[in-house]
Amino acid sequence: MTAHNTTSGENIYRPAVMNIVATRDEAPGVRTMRLEFQDPLELEKFKQAYRTGMFGLYGIYGEGESTFCVASPETRNDYIECTFRKSGRVTAALASAEIGDLMTFRGPYGNRFPIEEFHGKNLLFIAGGIALPPTRSVIWSCLDQRDKFGKITIVYGARTVADLVYKQELEEWEKRDDVELVLTVDPGGETPDWKHRVGFVPTILEEAAPAAGNCVAVLCGPPIMIKFTLASLKKLGFEEENVYTTLENRMKCGIGKCGRCNVGSVYVCKEGPVFTAAEVSAMPQADL
Amino acid sequence: MATLLYSASLNDCIARWREDGLMVFGPSTAGGVSGFREVEDAGSLDLDLVLTRSTLKELFFPRTEPMLGYRIGKQQIETEEFIPPEGRRIIFGVRPCDAAGMQVDDALFDWDYHDAYWFRRRDSSVIFSIACTHSDAFCMCTSLGLAPDSTKGSDVLLRPLAAGNGWKVEALTERGENALSSISSLLKEGGDAPAPLTDVPVKFDLEACRRWLADPENFESRFWKEISERCIGCGSCTYLCPTCHCFDIQDEGDTYQGVRRKNWDSCSFSLFTMHTSGHNPRATQSARWRQRIMHKFNYFSLKFNVNSCTGCGRCTRECPVDMGVTETLQAISTLQR
Repeated sequence: MTAHNTTSGENIYRPAVMNIVATRDEAPGVRTMRLEFQDPLELEKFKQAYRTGMFGLYGIYGEGESTFCVASPETRNDYIECTFRKSGRVTAALASAEIGDLMTFRGPYGNRFPIEEFHGKNLLFIAGGIALPPTRSVIWSCLDQRDKFGKITIVYGARTVADLVYKQELEEWEKRDDVELVLTVDPGGETPDWKHRVGFVPTILEEAAPAAGNCVAVLCGPPIMIKFTLASLKKLGFEEENVYTTLENRMKCGIGKCGRCNVGSVYVCKEGPVFTAAEVSAMPQADL
Repeated sequence: MATLLYSASLNDCIARWREDGLMVFGPSTAGGVSGFREVEDAGSLDLDLVLTRSTLKELFFPRTEPMLGYRIGKQQIETEEFIPPEGRRIIFGVRPCDAAGMQVDDALFDWDYHDAYWFRRRDSSVIFSIACTHSDAFCMCTSLGLAPDSTKGSDVLLRPLAAGNGWKVEALTERGENALSSISSLLKEGGDAPAPLTDVPVKFDLEACRRWLADPENFESRFWKEISERCIGCGSCTYLCPTCHCFDIQDEGDTYQGVRRKNWDSCSFSLFTMHTSGHNPRATQSARWRQRIMHKFNYFSLKFNVNSCTGCGRCTRECPVDMGVTETLQAISTLQR
């Protein structure tokens, strides 16, 4: 039916073996790992298939698999980066893995951000907390071909200063004159030397008031932030068709069989995880 | 004239197939629980049951199945794949509703990604279905557009003879023809009359139900809460459904060696969809029952053009609180009126 079709006999549940080549602690309990394929054929398959927005199942045998986005962009596809919060059995095992250890990756799965449709447009990225990783994948995909896009604005917020992830990259983006970075933390989450904004993302977004004309917004965050930020985007004049987001439902297979990630008739693993706000609005809201 | 298989020859057929290296499965009862088991002779078969308690799907999608064995070494992970088949199989005495269920799930397991665990077993099995001459109050194949002699998913259809001494044999697929050719000397030609099929009354208007389900206005109807109030979320209806296919993937073992398994799971359980954050898209039992009904009669049919229900009635027959698909769809039919 699609390019994903596997030949009979190929085991669709068998993951690739990955070497952990770098790790970075981002925030309390949040870690980034860079992974490289052990098998060059698996790397080639990944490079052919991977597009920004797709996700994978990251695992450790004996513990299981967990679903996260691929946080590295399609423009840098020799490796995979993932960022996760230590919270369950699999992520606890991943959090205690070290450079040189082996883990597994199954994917890439799902759809992608239609980045070529963003060419010539202004881009507005909005992320909350641990949802910067999927956004960051799109940000770098665009920054790596900067001349194809107009103005780039990034609005990122977290509960506290400590909870901001990718701090090095935030500094890097702040220094660039072709990126406007707006950072904020929730009231009470600031430190004495915090020199950025204080306030919730939707409020700060409305203050920053990016122009909606010829602009595409990419919005990732917890459900409650998405809800209020969508309302703010609407106030700013953004059409739902020009707002992209990702849904991150619980998954086990990632390939449309295990039966749990659907919202209405839409399988997030196959038809998502990237949707426009218009597509999300058409889903049964009670099941989101 | 038609091809006939007399009951008296069934034992020899089973012996012949087994000599040919095939395993023979059929409905049988052990420990008071009926299901599909391997049999060595015709005497072990329970062909008079309206339906076995557990379904045919267990022979293709086991309750738990090892997928990958793993052993972690220094800088390498060795894996061993446990892909079936365990052998070629004849499955004798399947009810048409159960056989139809296998065809329903073929679509799901082939949806872009081809699931070898399912298809290797499908490809190595021949399904002999027996048309139904008796039914019970829970049977509802006719409400789903099927019939006591539906051929969907079957390789051979057997029609019971009026005299009760055998079956009229119809090959439906090449695989079925091959299985019959190895027992051809045991088949007879004759004009024996087949027994009348059982009369299964239509219980609800499926198209009216589907229209109601497809209307987004009804998604948050009070109906869902009312109809599912007594659901205890035990999951029995999903485990006993011939088409329910949801599963979990779990590792059994430690971080040095063990087995990754595919285990049955159920949309009736709150953990099924629970996010790490604690957010649960289907947080209530009524949301989960709605998902089950919507999935069977709206989502699945939108994707694969077939309802994910074949009318076996087990969900109602075996429900500890007397719920089930039948009651819900009958109630929706009433709302439509």
